[in-house]
Amino acid sequence: MELFKKTLSPVAAMAIIAVLNIFLFQIVGAWTVGGGETMMTGLIAQMFLGDSLSRIPFWNVAFPPDPGYWKIYISLGMLFGAVVGAVLSKEFNWHMPHRLSEWVMITIGGLLMGIGIRLAFVCNVSTFYGLTPEMNLGGYLATSGILAGAWVGTWIYKKSLEG
Amino acid sequence: MNVIAQCLIAFVFGSVAGLLVQRSRYCNVAALRDAMLFKTYRNTKALLIAMMILTMGFTAFITVGAGKPLYFDVGLNTFIGLFLFGIGMVLAGACTVSTWVKAGEGNVGAIWALLFTFIGMFLFSLLWSFTYWPPAPNTMTGDFNLAGLQLGFANAATLQEKTKIPAVVFGAVQTLVLYGLYRAILRRERAGAGADTQADSESAACNAWADNDKAVPQGAARVTAEQST
Repeated sequence: MELFKKTLSPVAAMAIIAVLNIFLFQIVGAWTVGGGETMMTGLIAQMFLGDSLSRIPFWNVAFPPDPGYWKIYISLGMLFGAVVGAVLSKEFNWHMPHRLSEWVMITIGGLLMGIGIRLAFVCNVSTFYGLTPEMNLGGYLATSGILAGAWVGTWIYKKSLEG
Repeated sequence: MNVIAQCLIAFVFGSVAGLLVQRSRYCNVAALRDAMLFKTYRNTKALLIAMMILTMGFTAFITVGAGKPLYFDVGLNTFIGLFLFGIGMVLAGACTVSTWVKAGEGNVGAIWALLFTFIGMFLFSLLWSFTYWPPAPNTMTGDFNLAGLQLGFANAATLQEKTKIPAVVFGAVQTLVLYGLYRAILRRERAGAGADTQADSESAACNAWADNDKAVPQGAARVTAEQST
């Protein structure tokens, strides 16, 4: 199948995703990832902490763990779709960063993403493919924030390469 | 709609999105980072096209009172949160989408980034439980609240309500602005101002540690080679 032999144009891919996202917006809500990841965090924490998790107000008031939260399944679907795409195009292979500096950057980056999502209540997907197209004030705030953050991150990234 | 149907629809959407992102090597991080660092716009153009389609689609539905917009107050936390997120995604070399997609390709670095995103969320949940800031969605009033550093809620629907002008008109204006940006990028590419459009056949690498085996624009190729081992 041609799809698994050639790289698809990103413009075409994102245009298709955008059209599907409009239908999703009509049925359950716009494409988002951060909310599902937060719920997964709660469910994983519940596996380790059991009922004592509810003593932490965030998981009791703001985000009670619920496996029926639809946003979780967007993330799981993306993982599934990517596995299918990678396997059928013979691009699946286990590989990992080799340098300690890369592991450190990824670790700090992951932590900042997690903290940022929870602080803002949104992620980059909600920002670009949800809030801003809905003309939500938060979309403009979030876009300003992510552009400023990406600029700072790029500066750090560049310095680390030069170093 | 029942919960199972919602989850099923979400899974199908996610699967198609994951497949298309994987096959196109689209990356949100590259859309911003590569534009800033390498002056290449392969992913930036895709981002803008998607936003144009979505703006027209969402505001058209909002005009007739349909669709399910996100509904919660925003404030200083929105800006700071995404500022931290922006730094984090560039350092991690992946955003919320690409961590899942790269994980699906067998990238251990992406799985590690995902793990620490979860840990970051859990750590913040402890901080929130101590400060209760930003306010929980059910305590947000929708109005300006200086004490809580909240600006309230506003979107295309509230614009329509206040101005009596259909939301889709505002959507068309926003789409034109996005189109202006898109045209500016095309002009810049045509002028050859640092961009290597011929190399657009492959991504500028969503992250240096993830795509060392892919063809990338010239500027990016140098950096990925340096990062590669």
